[in-house]
Amino acid sequence: MGGSGYCSDIADAGLAAGGLARIGWAERAMPVLGLLREECASKQPFAGRSIAACLHVTAETAVLVGVITAGGGQVHLAASNPLSTQDDIAAALASQPGVFVHAKTGVDRDAYYSHLHRALDGEPDLVVDDGGDLVNTLHTERPELLPRVAGGCESTTTGVVRLGQMAASGSLAFPVVAADASVTRRMFDNGYGTSQSVIDGLMRATNLLLAGKTVVVAGYGSCGRAIAERAAGLGAQVIVTEVDPVRALDAIMSGYRVLPMADAAPAGDVFITATGSRDVIAGPHLALMRDGVVLANAGHFDVEIDVRALADLAVDVNRGIRPNADEYVLDSGKRLILLADGRVVNLIAAEGNPAAVMDLSFAAQALALMWLVSGEAGLAAGVYPTPAAIDTEVARLTLAAHGTAIDTLTAAQQEYLESWRHGS
Amino acid sequence: MAAEHLPFKVADLSLAEFGRNEIRLAEHEMPGLMALREEYAGSRPLASARITGSLHMTVQTAVLIETLVALGAQVRWASCNIFSTQDHAAAAVAVGPDGTPDDPRGIAVFAWKGETLDQYWWCTEQALTWPDGETGGPNMLLDDGGDATLLVHNGAEFEAAGEVPAGSDDDPEEWHVILGVLRDAMKADPAKWTQIAGQILGVTEETTTGVHRLYEMAKAGTLRFPAINVNDSVTKSKFDNKYGCRHSLIDGINRATDTLIGGKVAVICGYGDVGKGCAESLRGQRARVVITEIDPICALQAAMDGYQVATLEDMVETADIFVTATGNLHIITAEHMSRMKHQAIVGNIGHFDNEIDMAGLARLPGIRRNVIKPQVDEWVFPDGHSIIVLSEGRLLNLGNATGHPSFVMSSSFTNQVLAQLELFTKTEQYPLGVHVLPKQLDERVARLHLDALGVRLTELSKEQAAYIGVPVEGPYKSDHYRY
Repeated sequence: MGGSGYCSDIADAGLAAGGLARIGWAERAMPVLGLLREECASKQPFAGRSIAACLHVTAETAVLVGVITAGGGQVHLAASNPLSTQDDIAAALASQPGVFVHAKTGVDRDAYYSHLHRALDGEPDLVVDDGGDLVNTLHTERPELLPRVAGGCESTTTGVVRLGQMAASGSLAFPVVAADASVTRRMFDNGYGTSQSVIDGLMRATNLLLAGKTVVVAGYGSCGRAIAERAAGLGAQVIVTEVDPVRALDAIMSGYRVLPMADAAPAGDVFITATGSRDVIAGPHLALMRDGVVLANAGHFDVEIDVRALADLAVDVNRGIRPNADEYVLDSGKRLILLADGRVVNLIAAEGNPAAVMDLSFAAQALALMWLVSGEAGLAAGVYPTPAAIDTEVARLTLAAHGTAIDTLTAAQQEYLESWRHGS
Repeated sequence: MAAEHLPFKVADLSLAEFGRNEIRLAEHEMPGLMALREEYAGSRPLASARITGSLHMTVQTAVLIETLVALGAQVRWASCNIFSTQDHAAAAVAVGPDGTPDDPRGIAVFAWKGETLDQYWWCTEQALTWPDGETGGPNMLLDDGGDATLLVHNGAEFEAAGEVPAGSDDDPEEWHVILGVLRDAMKADPAKWTQIAGQILGVTEETTTGVHRLYEMAKAGTLRFPAINVNDSVTKSKFDNKYGCRHSLIDGINRATDTLIGGKVAVICGYGDVGKGCAESLRGQRARVVITEIDPICALQAAMDGYQVATLEDMVETADIFVTATGNLHIITAEHMSRMKHQAIVGNIGHFDNEIDMAGLARLPGIRRNVIKPQVDEWVFPDGHSIIVLSEGRLLNLGNATGHPSFVMSSSFTNQVLAQLELFTKTEQYPLGVHVLPKQLDERVARLHLDALGVRLTELSKEQAAYIGVPVEGPYKSDHYRY
């Protein structure tokens, strides 16, 4: 390894100092990765390995990259979203030995994919993906690289679904750990992180008082549930839309109103999509909405709100009435405010998940990468849930970092729990 | 003692031991009252007070009664609601801490659960009639809803007029009962109520409804003695109305119906202190709560607290639970009830039973009442669908559950005792009119409850106190401060 011909493609190398300061700030809030970095520095699990990563280029991602490089790995990082790249972080990472960054904020689709290719040019032994674009490009356009890939991990549910389809059709060439589905990830990332940062993004983009407003949350998965809870906690009335009867029932039993989007559309002041699906807010819904409503998407891709339909309905668009807020004026005179172009609002209008949440999420991925590269996993190609042992280890490290002590089962308790002989 | 006078009347004296056990547990949860007993055990400032109380005869009220007795008062008592008496509490109070069912040594209590209206007003009159006293009546009233005050005032008014009016068919049934009681009293003694009213130094009123009546009387110039509005002490209204109802509303609904509240749509009529507590408790169970209001400020508050605010008309066909908490009449009409969902639950937590039109419901052609259990009635409409009405439209937290928990009532009743002390020992400071307790006494009630909760209060420094312009020891807020 070494610098053999690779170079970064970033916006401005001069931003590195500011980026390094922000990474230092994030490190303070990421004690679990800190513990893992110490472990990696001594055990060198990634020595001589190349890792291609497609992740949001943020300060928290930089801390994960630091763990891998501390463990001896070389990292080729591309952005998983053209709008979420923080150029100062990209510059800071590119200034580090063993790290090559291919990411600039606001690049077009062609540049986005060319960055994925540049990351793959590093001939990865491991891949880290967020949304599945990197793994997809690797399989469809760079198959010659597949033989050396030992495995990978995927951060988001959207990516895991795509990989599952690849595995089902027999096209997936290596084992992938689905880091989205780990217990700690769901609990902290979807449950606590996304919801807080989505509300943060909404507030930064609009400065809207949520108390007294009607907030429509589309999707009652782990993200939607937490967003609903945060919005209700701020005094909003929450309406949930769902397609899954079990989740709809869960929303009802949580005290929310559940309506089809067609009925919610005329009732809401704020709409937040968190479904993973497309066209959740479609043209006919937009036409029903009240003047001044705010539309935000918390899902990974920008397809949940039909932005094209919105543009078609609009007779005028006032771009950037506030940062990350565009006003679409309809024929009727009604104005709909779209945040962050319908892209993931918590990353664009706010700072994404707080570092403490990403700490857990990335710790699980670092542990999964260590497990895959160790050869102990011995997995065939396919998508695998995060092993329970990794989940437990993440929780254990997190508690240790928080200074929280817990009880340990006694031998008698252990025996009791494992026995089937004890009755009432 | 005259032959027609009973020393007391309760349902079953054999319940006294159970009642005493519950009183003992309640005493621990009523630190404010117990602190007053300790403080005034020696001085007995209520010695020579003859207090007639008209207030729900519950375990907590028993601790209030025995606190008044510990402070030296003689006490006679009736409940202020036909369903709210806890018979074991009434029995224990009649027997007293030192008596036995065979040798009762407690106070003269006239109360049992499930009184008829005739019995209810007989009990109230008994509590106001002091057969052993020289004057035949109390010198202090402790009222909840104002029924004792009402009987004295109406009695004296009719005596002045020389006759009790006949009443008309439009009048509620209860008014005819009251007129009957006063008519009988006038036959026996045409000056009874005038004499009693003249002896009363004042009344301390517990609840919003009664306070409202007092202000009306004061405005009309018909109030005959000073009154302290205990209801509007912060440590009463917030704690009792909001926190108490937050606790006991769902307790009542659960005991009555055992319906899962989560996921249901619940309409709360009224978003005052009681409505706020009710909404919070149902939301806490994860019902979807919808508020109805007539006051734009309360309606806006509800909206800002995240509730849907609608009219009853909007919700009547879709909601699962209806609770009235307005203090007003004709909130839920028979017509509303006829349109409700099958097995919708209808209850009232306001003081009087006029928020839900029970008489109108009973008059609907073809309607059938099916008693599920005491205080739980299924009303079956001719089309076969039915609704469930709790406590016959009377306050369900007392009718279907046990009312406010002891701790809340301690806060409320500590105000009552302080108000009784104020009126009885500083009579000259309270001229004819309706007064609220001085803020420092309100703060004192709160102080008396902090230790039990492990609260560590921060003390103002002299500099801090001077900076905000209050004494170090309080009062800390202006009279207009909204807690």
